[in-house]
Amino acid sequence: MIKRNQLVLGNKSLKDITDDICAPVESVPSKGWVGIFLVSKTMLLFYVFVLGMIVAHGMGLLGVNHPVGWGTMIITFVFWIGIGHAGTLISAVLFLFRQKWRTSVARSAEAMTVFAVMTAGLFPLLHTGRPWLDFWLFPYPNQRGPLWVNFRSPLLWDVFAVSTYATVSMVFWFIGLVPDFATIKDRAKTKVRRAIYGALSLGWRGTARNWSHYEMLYLLLAGLSTPLVLSVHTIVSFDFAVSNLPGWHTTIFPPYFVAGAIFSGFAMVVTLMTFLRIGYPEFRDYITIDHMEVMNKIIMTTGLMLGYAYGAEFFVAWYSGNPYERYVFMNRAGIPGTSGDYAWSYWMMIMCNVVIPQLFWFKKVRRNITAMFIISIFVNIGMWFERFVITVTSLHNDFLPSNWGNYAWSFWDGAVIFGSFGMFLTLFMLYLRFVPAISIAEIKPVLNVGRDDHKGGH
Amino acid sequence: MSDMNHHHTDQELEFKKSLRPQTSRDEKYWQSLEEYSKDPEFMKLAQTEFMSSPLSEDSKDESEGGWARREFLKLMGASLAMATASCVRRPVQKIVPYSKQPEEVTLGVPNYYTSTYFDGSEALGVLIKTREGRPLKLEGHSDHIITQGGTSARSQAAILSLYDPERLKGPRKNLFNEKRTNKDMVDTTWDKADAAISEQLKKGGVAILTGALASPATRSVVGEFCQAFKADHYSWEALAHDDVRAGQKAAYGEDLVPVYHFDRAKMIVSIDADFLGTWLTPVTFTKQFSKTRKDFSKMSRLVVFDSNYSLTGANADIRVRIKPSLQLDAVMGLLHELVVVQGKSSYAGNTQLKSNLASFASSAKKLGMEPELLKRIANDLWENRGQSLVVAGGLAASTAHSLSLQVAVNLLNSILENDGKTVEGTHGLAALKGSNEGLLELVKKMNKGEVKTLIIHRSNPIYGLTEKSGFAEALKKVEMVVCTSDRMDEVSQYAHYILPDNHALETWSDAEIAPGVYSLQQPTLRSMYDTRSVQLGLMTWAFLAKQGPQRLLAYETFYDYLRNFWKEEIFPKYGKGLSFDAFWDKALQEGYVGEEKNAGARGFKAESLTQIKNVKSLDEGYELVLYPTVQLGDGSQSNIAWLFELPDPITKITWDNYVSVSLATAQKLNVKDGSLMKLEVGEDSLELPVHVQPGLHDGVLAVAVGYGRMMGGEVGKGVGKNAYQLAQVVNGKVIHSGLPVKATVLKGTYKLAQTQQHHSMEGRQIIVEATLKDYEKKKEHLIHRHHTWNIWSGHQYNGNKWGMAIDLNSCTGCSACMVACQSENNIPAVGKKYVMQGREMHWIRVDRYFTGSPENAETVFQPVMCQHCDNAPCETVCPVLATVHTDDGLNAMVYNRCVGTRYCANNCPYKVRRFNWFNYAKLIEKPMHMALNPDVTVRVRGVMEKCTFCVHRISQAKDKARQEDRKLRDGDIKTACQTACPTDAIVFGDMNDPESKLSKRFKDERAYALLEEWHAAPAVRYMAKIRNNGQESKSAETHNKGEHA
Repeated sequence: MIKRNQLVLGNKSLKDITDDICAPVESVPSKGWVGIFLVSKTMLLFYVFVLGMIVAHGMGLLGVNHPVGWGTMIITFVFWIGIGHAGTLISAVLFLFRQKWRTSVARSAEAMTVFAVMTAGLFPLLHTGRPWLDFWLFPYPNQRGPLWVNFRSPLLWDVFAVSTYATVSMVFWFIGLVPDFATIKDRAKTKVRRAIYGALSLGWRGTARNWSHYEMLYLLLAGLSTPLVLSVHTIVSFDFAVSNLPGWHTTIFPPYFVAGAIFSGFAMVVTLMTFLRIGYPEFRDYITIDHMEVMNKIIMTTGLMLGYAYGAEFFVAWYSGNPYERYVFMNRAGIPGTSGDYAWSYWMMIMCNVVIPQLFWFKKVRRNITAMFIISIFVNIGMWFERFVITVTSLHNDFLPSNWGNYAWSFWDGAVIFGSFGMFLTLFMLYLRFVPAISIAEIKPVLNVGRDDHKGGH
Repeated sequence: MSDMNHHHTDQELEFKKSLRPQTSRDEKYWQSLEEYSKDPEFMKLAQTEFMSSPLSEDSKDESEGGWARREFLKLMGASLAMATASCVRRPVQKIVPYSKQPEEVTLGVPNYYTSTYFDGSEALGVLIKTREGRPLKLEGHSDHIITQGGTSARSQAAILSLYDPERLKGPRKNLFNEKRTNKDMVDTTWDKADAAISEQLKKGGVAILTGALASPATRSVVGEFCQAFKADHYSWEALAHDDVRAGQKAAYGEDLVPVYHFDRAKMIVSIDADFLGTWLTPVTFTKQFSKTRKDFSKMSRLVVFDSNYSLTGANADIRVRIKPSLQLDAVMGLLHELVVVQGKSSYAGNTQLKSNLASFASSAKKLGMEPELLKRIANDLWENRGQSLVVAGGLAASTAHSLSLQVAVNLLNSILENDGKTVEGTHGLAALKGSNEGLLELVKKMNKGEVKTLIIHRSNPIYGLTEKSGFAEALKKVEMVVCTSDRMDEVSQYAHYILPDNHALETWSDAEIAPGVYSLQQPTLRSMYDTRSVQLGLMTWAFLAKQGPQRLLAYETFYDYLRNFWKEEIFPKYGKGLSFDAFWDKALQEGYVGEEKNAGARGFKAESLTQIKNVKSLDEGYELVLYPTVQLGDGSQSNIAWLFELPDPITKITWDNYVSVSLATAQKLNVKDGSLMKLEVGEDSLELPVHVQPGLHDGVLAVAVGYGRMMGGEVGKGVGKNAYQLAQVVNGKVIHSGLPVKATVLKGTYKLAQTQQHHSMEGRQIIVEATLKDYEKKKEHLIHRHHTWNIWSGHQYNGNKWGMAIDLNSCTGCSACMVACQSENNIPAVGKKYVMQGREMHWIRVDRYFTGSPENAETVFQPVMCQHCDNAPCETVCPVLATVHTDDGLNAMVYNRCVGTRYCANNCPYKVRRFNWFNYAKLIEKPMHMALNPDVTVRVRGVMEKCTFCVHRISQAKDKARQEDRKLRDGDIKTACQTACPTDAIVFGDMNDPESKLSKRFKDERAYALLEEWHAAPAVRYMAKIRNNGQESKSAETHNKGEHA
């Protein structure tokens, strides 16, 4: 029997675990935290300003134009939605598969999901020409005759998919937090703190009845979330796949998008967990190199899937005999005879998403924090470019060559991307300050996994 | 004093009323109970022109004198300065002639008036569409005998100049210091100005400088004014035709611009005469030319020797790229072939000619063309003698050797027996008297101090003529300069008095559209500002100075003069048993009177052959070619954003001029699009960005004129560079092209705003093109048809099903449709910065692709607008149902509902949807909002828009048919692009009516749907272009093979 590595290092007692995990919530924030928070908060304020300008003046501030009708906002929307996937996958799917290693990263991954979906959700709303009329996208009873939405439009499916996903992942995350909030409430030294965490813990008392209901609910929510992992990005991919644009109109898009989402999500989890390990050294016992290695393996696997998808797209473009589609793909790769204006972005994507993750074949790289951090950043960049490639290169050279034109990148495009990280990071920093970043209640049952005194196994 | 006024006005009004046709009222039908009971109050009212007066409220009662308060105050002020009451010549003119619509102005129903529009070169018969008394759009007048309904981009844009916010609001005076270095403009009054000018005129030494005058009545006023003050009249246009006139004078003895009949020509050779774009009367020519291209059994052939890539060159069946020094070779080469080689014509024995032609034996080689081709062209000309036409002219032919060229062209036409048939030189175009030489004479006179008073009307030599003409300096030596510009421009800033002329849409006038064909120009609204027609100005000054012929002094308004002029001069010739009133009404209703004069051949003066001198063409270096563009012409419409934003038909560049270089030259100089280049001609230099133009001669650097205005409006201020400054004055002649030019590449780049950056069709079936021979052979197999099928039964269209057919064989790419659409549909211009970002808003665009080898590229055009697909990809993806299908086959856009996701635009295979990136409507400056069409919504920011097939015109036609209790007839509905088109390339109609013109076109074997295989099932069909170059294409499917990028 292969000996299992310990999930929690350092021979922790149950109290140690509670103390360790509650420490960031209960102590005065470190200089590092304050510094990063101030930076993120400034970025957020800048983001608010940027979005305000765009709402006030119009979409014309961004580089979207004729023929490239969608740009930075849609690209970054898909990027953040994709990142959100890892959280649900880790917390729901791995939960159903009884993968015990998930416990130490699940909470933060889920938080990341919630914040990423919040960040993403703003884009489709703000990228419309008249955002103040966005409520028309929802089928609500109205007095404008029976004026209803168009259920044939993938954008409408998107509205449902993203809002459902946001709701379910938030509920799932919050339910998981209830026992931990109760723990913090119990340890609270001030009345205010006690009242707030008390309210958040929904009257949790830790009784067997509580636990029984809790676990059933958690299981149900996990079951509910699991199809969402597949559906959300499938439907997001429909925005493209259901259109008739060469480069968008592809049946491979749903699985390709889901794989890409998991890929980018895990990369972002690795990025964040690396930060967590640096910022909170006590967490190194909980988020171990083993955890990171498992995630790196997933990154490598999904990276290979993406590579396959990229190849399949080219094959189908050739095999279909559709000259427009052939041109779009040749143009992406910058094959001579095409404009190849955005070939750099395509090769950047291939480099970041397919080539660089191959380094994870080496165990040394898989287990090296610096290496995996750098690779995860590349993957994040690569996945943003993947959406850039899909959105922009398909639109910029389509059917009639007279329409061909390039995206008119502006300052505001960069500002939107930059600012969206401000929003995400601010939320994440606040989360680290006010919410236990590792599930106390869930880590305790796996304390013994792989411990020596149990001679391996469990 | 005021009594006199009172009396005067009453009399005037009575007089006016007596001139008016009496409205006889039908007894059977009555409008109101008052009419039924013959209420005296009502009957009085009914006899007035307007049931409700267009005058302001307090001036409504005509018997009270009718002065608005403002005018009254002004008069009071003026009366102090004036000696006699009879000086007050304030015309009160009201205009309500209707030609198409019922006489009542009905809210929401447009009225159309026949009129003319003259752009300095061509007078067009037009219909002016007005709504509630304000002109909105110029439409082609399809029943006009000469222009037959076509318009140009510039005439379509004229409406904006009426509502130009920078028009002067009244007379201005310049408080010059002694050296005239300052410019202190103050308001003045008409009376003060008139008094001062009439005094000044008495001193003698008067000269009038005008642009081309199309109006015979105006020419008569000017002539009589000159008689009155012994004044000299000079006519000058930036695009003057000195060359053609000198050639005519030398060859036939008459100094005139002849009338050309392209409709009678089966074989046309043009040497740099851009007759489809900018030369003489391009709209009429385009109309005529297009008629010779519709019947393939007798399709005409057009051969163009092109120094610049002109619009005419783009439409040529055979285009030969040349440089200006080779122009003569083209003509002489053809003559050599005919006269010397083949010994044809009576000139075959002429020794003078033979010696002239001797050195042109190897012209074909010099021209870089196959000798066989030159021979073929010569043979074609000979075979079609009497039905062929050779023309040369334009700025590109305004060279040092232009006389040689013109004489040679005239000789060729005479040899080919074209004179008197396709060239009619007995009468000529009376308007085109503009002359650079005349202007240079005027400058001499001014310098000598012989000109004491100079009156400048519609002429701007400070902008349009090289500084070396010395006009600006000479102007300072004139005691008093009076300018009638409607704005502060380059020339009016040097004037003592700027007395703004009425806009053409505010004033009566007439035009001689062709010899023997006259049209009236009628005002469609009262003067917006305190302006006065220039003719009335001249009449007033003569009156005040008490000098001049009786006719000039007799009338108080130019309208009265005009009527009398017509009564005396035109009515006797064309009246044919009508009373004058009936004749006048007929002229207004039909838009013209008379018919075109024809005359026989003229004798070619053999002694003019001595004028033909050899031209030494440079082997090294570059020759300058200046050319006017279709969008800006001579540059006088410099404050109209529509024109600046209209892409050049060939280069597709907006908002700039540039130097066009050939591919080889670009390679040699190591420049690309946007590189900066310094051009040096003599002592003049100009820095311009480079545009690499396929199909240009390697020895040519071509620059457009009409740009670089520094005054004349905020829109055009500093847009491009003024290339007129590169022209040179040599021996009293202004030379524009063929000058040796030194090109230096500068560091740095300049971004040009191009609306189409890719110029190849990539082997896709976008524009189907075939040679005539291919077409005759392949017929229905010309187009690669795709098998398409559908799992859905599709929409059902039980009533009408609207569609459009566009004949690419007729379309010349002139882009009049684009501006017409912009005017009709309230489409904003966005400016250079945003054109560069791909945000131009045109609902219809003219795509241009190059085919063949890049060095000798041929051009094809394709107007593209919303295709109104049956399986519209845009409709399914809109989440809020803002774009939906109507039951008559339109793809409707509901602006109110649009939230602006832009998904529809992404999913449109034709990319015809335009998005309001900003709130463009907010930027409409007063009074430009008056040019907005009230039938079409002004779009707010954040909504998508696109071609509607002029849905408002459809509803109007439906309403009209319903009111007349009949069914809609084919042709009742004409879209804005269709009425603007001078070639009838666009047809709109009902696909469900098998008899409609449209259905017939749809059945034509040349008809195909764009991107048919994508099966969006568009309602637009294109019809294949046929090139009559007498050859079969080398590869049978040129259009399907990849072309150069």
